[in-house]
Amino acid sequence: MGIKINALKCTNCMACEMVCSYHRDDGFAFLSACIVAYRAKEKKDYFGMLLKEEDVLIVARPEGLEINKIGEEADPDKEADASAKPMLLREGCDLCEDMDDYGPMCVAFCPVDAITLD
Amino acid sequence: MEYLSTDKILVIDLNAAQVEEEELDESLVQEKIGGIGITKYLYDKYKEDDPIVIGTGLLTGTTYPASASAQITAKSPVTGKVCHCPVIYKLGVEIKYSGFDYIVVKGRSESPVYLWIHDGVADISDAADVWGKDVWESTDALRKFVGDDLLQTMMIGPAGEKGSDYAQVCYNHWTSPDRFGFGKLFGSKNLKGFAFRGMGLIEIAEPEDYVEHSLEILKAVKENSFLEKKGIAHILTALGEEGVEEWIESVTHRHSADYFTPYATNTALFLDEDPGLLEESKKDEPGVLVSDIYALLGFKKMGFSAVDAGRALKACAKYGIDPFAVADLCGKITLEEIKNSFDTISGAVAIPGRGLFTPWCPTGPIFNDFGLSGEDEIMAWWERRQAVSMIFGIQPIFSLMCPELTEESMLELASQGTGLELTRETLDAVIDKIFG
Repeated sequence: MGIKINALKCTNCMACEMVCSYHRDDGFAFLSACIVAYRAKEKKDYFGMLLKEEDVLIVARPEGLEINKIGEEADPDKEADASAKPMLLREGCDLCEDMDDYGPMCVAFCPVDAITLD
Repeated sequence: MEYLSTDKILVIDLNAAQVEEEELDESLVQEKIGGIGITKYLYDKYKEDDPIVIGTGLLTGTTYPASASAQITAKSPVTGKVCHCPVIYKLGVEIKYSGFDYIVVKGRSESPVYLWIHDGVADISDAADVWGKDVWESTDALRKFVGDDLLQTMMIGPAGEKGSDYAQVCYNHWTSPDRFGFGKLFGSKNLKGFAFRGMGLIEIAEPEDYVEHSLEILKAVKENSFLEKKGIAHILTALGEEGVEEWIESVTHRHSADYFTPYATNTALFLDEDPGLLEESKKDEPGVLVSDIYALLGFKKMGFSAVDAGRALKACAKYGIDPFAVADLCGKITLEEIKNSFDTISGAVAIPGRGLFTPWCPTGPIFNDFGLSGEDEIMAWWERRQAVSMIFGIQPIFSLMCPELTEESMLELASQGTGLELTRETLDAVIDKIFG
């Protein structure tokens, strides 16, 4: 079981980021989320999601998924994105295992069902 | 104020170049709730200094659906009334998480400045490097200077610096709901604008109940069939405007939402790029993000192609001028003529009802009828709905779509979130005070 992201359905609202962080912090914040709305290319209207799992960083781009193993050398032809860097310091997705009534919070709270359980 | 709050009010005196912090007293929240209930109170408190008051709603940036909005309260230099302008996109949430619920800006600076608000710290910064630059150049320059592309800005462009009655305060690179000439007010204070960034933590009195209730509301909201749609064209169709969807289709890229807002109220138009492109554009400025449905419609009614309408909106966003006023008042017929008319427009944009709220927001329900009939009933409902949205921090267009976002649920969540007992009687009294 895992998180499945459809970046084309995503409207970049950041609900996933908020509720993921709530699951970690028991308060409202964005600091600890292991899923974030990727929104650094605002003028280009280019957005999607980043999800950190235990060993991999999933970049859900509109054109498709990119799965990067954490610790492997990055592709030198690809520009690193500043918004991806703090993700590597955060805990990986645990599918909100302690949130018995909800399951993964990002799935429960995504208003457009862009995040589902696989 | 311990919960749903940063507990801080920032008071900036531009005359003295001083920054002070005040605590947000629980008693003030108990009496005024939040949002424009408190920005209006702060405006009245400091009115001798012609203040600009920025405030978040009590629920802004939480799990309550569409809790996206903050507000600017100030006296319009155009209408002379104290008005309230919503702060949309992701900016309202960033204000709260930057460490302050409310910000009061008093007086006038001797030289151009911008206010850099970040992680509970506020700096009055020299704006010499961005004064004279347009809104896009200013936002890009500040993001580069700070080294953070997620910096959220509230900026004026040349229109505000020159004192145009139609000058807008723009948000990041985009036009805003400001139809009040607040851009002129910023310019008169030598205030280029604000930059916000923060990673704060907001605590909740009863977190489990708050989140559980939020999810129940979200599930009810998602039952609405209109959520199968996205973007500005469908809103205009729902309001009875024909032909917009076909007209705009060839330049529509994607639709995006304000923070946690289930309907995507913003549409990106690609003007110099293939709108069907999924990959990141290699062009720096392929298009424009549009939230102002009436400005778009105004350019359509002038006979513009969708591409030229997008170019006009982009030019307005850069210049920091209200695109609706441009479309409504400029009397020009070509894109070039319009771009050259920004400094010579004259006339007035009509502000509905009591003149407190922006007609950027449709003046009636969207997609659902809310059981309303008759112009008077609809106007009374609209003004109350705007007031309630801006007290609690709800995206003001989405609140016109969604009957499930009830006053009762906002009060209940506000009470669960703060630990205070906030009642309908209190809400009625706050609204009465706002309406004057």
